[in-house]
Amino acid sequence: MSTLSLIGQILFAGLAIGGVYTLVALGIVLIYRATNVVNFAQGDFTMLGAYVLFALSNGEKINFFVAFLLALVVMAVLGLLFELGVYYPLRNRSFLPVVIATIGASIMFQNGALAIFGPMPQKVRPVIYASGNGGITLGGVFFDYQYIVILVVTLALVLLQYLFFEYTVLGKKMQATSQDKDMARMLGIPVSIMIALTYIYSTVIGGLSGMLVAPIFFVTHKMGVMLGLKAFAATICGGFGDVRGAILGGLALGVIESFGAAFISTVYKDAFSLLLLLLFLLIRPQGIFGEKVAEKA
Amino acid sequence: MLKLDNVHAAYDSVVVLRGVSLQVNQGEIVCLLGANGAGKTTTLRLISGLIHPLQGKVCLEDKPIHHLSPEAIARLGVAHVPEGRRIFPGLTVRENLILGASNRRRVNKVELTSDIKKMFEIFPDLEKLQNALGWTLSGGQQQMLAIARSLMAHPKILLMDEPSLGLGPIVVQQVFSVIKQINETMGTTVLVVEQNAVIALSVASRGYVIENGRIVLEGKASDLLNNTEVREAYLGGRRTCI
Repeated sequence: MSTLSLIGQILFAGLAIGGVYTLVALGIVLIYRATNVVNFAQGDFTMLGAYVLFALSNGEKINFFVAFLLALVVMAVLGLLFELGVYYPLRNRSFLPVVIATIGASIMFQNGALAIFGPMPQKVRPVIYASGNGGITLGGVFFDYQYIVILVVTLALVLLQYLFFEYTVLGKKMQATSQDKDMARMLGIPVSIMIALTYIYSTVIGGLSGMLVAPIFFVTHKMGVMLGLKAFAATICGGFGDVRGAILGGLALGVIESFGAAFISTVYKDAFSLLLLLLFLLIRPQGIFGEKVAEKA
Repeated sequence: MLKLDNVHAAYDSVVVLRGVSLQVNQGEIVCLLGANGAGKTTTLRLISGLIHPLQGKVCLEDKPIHHLSPEAIARLGVAHVPEGRRIFPGLTVRENLILGASNRRRVNKVELTSDIKKMFEIFPDLEKLQNALGWTLSGGQQQMLAIARSLMAHPKILLMDEPSLGLGPIVVQQVFSVIKQINETMGTTVLVVEQNAVIALSVASRGYVIENGRIVLEGKASDLLNNTEVREAYLGGRRTCI
């Protein structure tokens, strides 16, 4: 294997795993922007998505793709329940009780999954079930189908989300809600519905990212912890509360981690993202894209 | 059209309004004058449903509205231009205007476009800025946008909180002549809260003076302008030259 194709290989794997971090980070950022709350259960949505897909597709009683879509619907319902249980009752309090409630929910999700599915790691099939080695080789670089699917889905979602927020009135209403809730209410925008929609969407993309990494990692009740932590690191490095930051931060983190593992140490793979987080907090705490503009009088 | 009847209100344990009664009739411009902390902004926030009264009633066209949410009150045709204009900073001028119509049911594209065009006729400056983000606008432009946005709601009554705040004298003149113009050409009823009594009374037909959460004086605008108490409190003391 030439050096160039080795670098291509590492870059590809890094981008794919970075795509997963991006999806989880987007969920964190959207909820943060809409409600000023850091959702510590966001990582666990990946675990829930993976388990829901496992439960629906295990034994192949239903077609895998039907099961995949059904799992997304289940995640949407879970998102609404999460909003109604964790955010809505505390919406008129400061952000802190809600943040603590999300930590509580996270613990509940993990132990709930442990109680239902047990401690044994489970396996979910990849989206594209091909014979052979499950990928294609191009120019000395091996492209795993699942990694390709992750990248394509991430790009498609980022694009769709951009179009939604830029070109639809509903998207504008959701932006208005995140910028100034009281003013939005005085214009007659149903703010609680906008917030519920944000939670539903964030839960669905969180679950989706879990369903996509499930074939790469094993499905365990703890799988969301590291993913959530890294996505959180990605949002801070990118600029907290910034959608572009979540995208860039997530992808960059995946790539850095992948190169670190290849050239420095595989054992310390998980440490690189946290090291990067520390570096950012020390040198540029506002992240790559900095903070929002100050309000004018 | 709008009636407040013996309204009491508080933020947590701090009582701000202690029995405010006032009335705004169809087609009028009414001003509510008062110093900082007198309860002017609270009165408007209360009408908009952002806070609810401890006792007393707020009625719009003889129906009580004080138990409703801000969203529901907006849908009934109450538009609020709040203190500090509250333009959405990350949205463009045009997007801010489009969201102004959120309280109306089923607005089709054609109607929305023609409404925005009307706003650009009243506020020609905004047309050139229609794709600029809210935060890039000057204070005066933001005030014009805030008024235009509230008119997109087709309001029955327009509540304005200190439209002169932070603006230069010429811009203040422009803002108030626009208020007068809207009232005359569109028939919009206006309740304006101000510290700048001279300019507010020059466009208003009636006025109220609020102090420590109570209405202490009310009357025709011309009478208030000549009232010694008002002159002393808001028009520069005993100096007789204006």
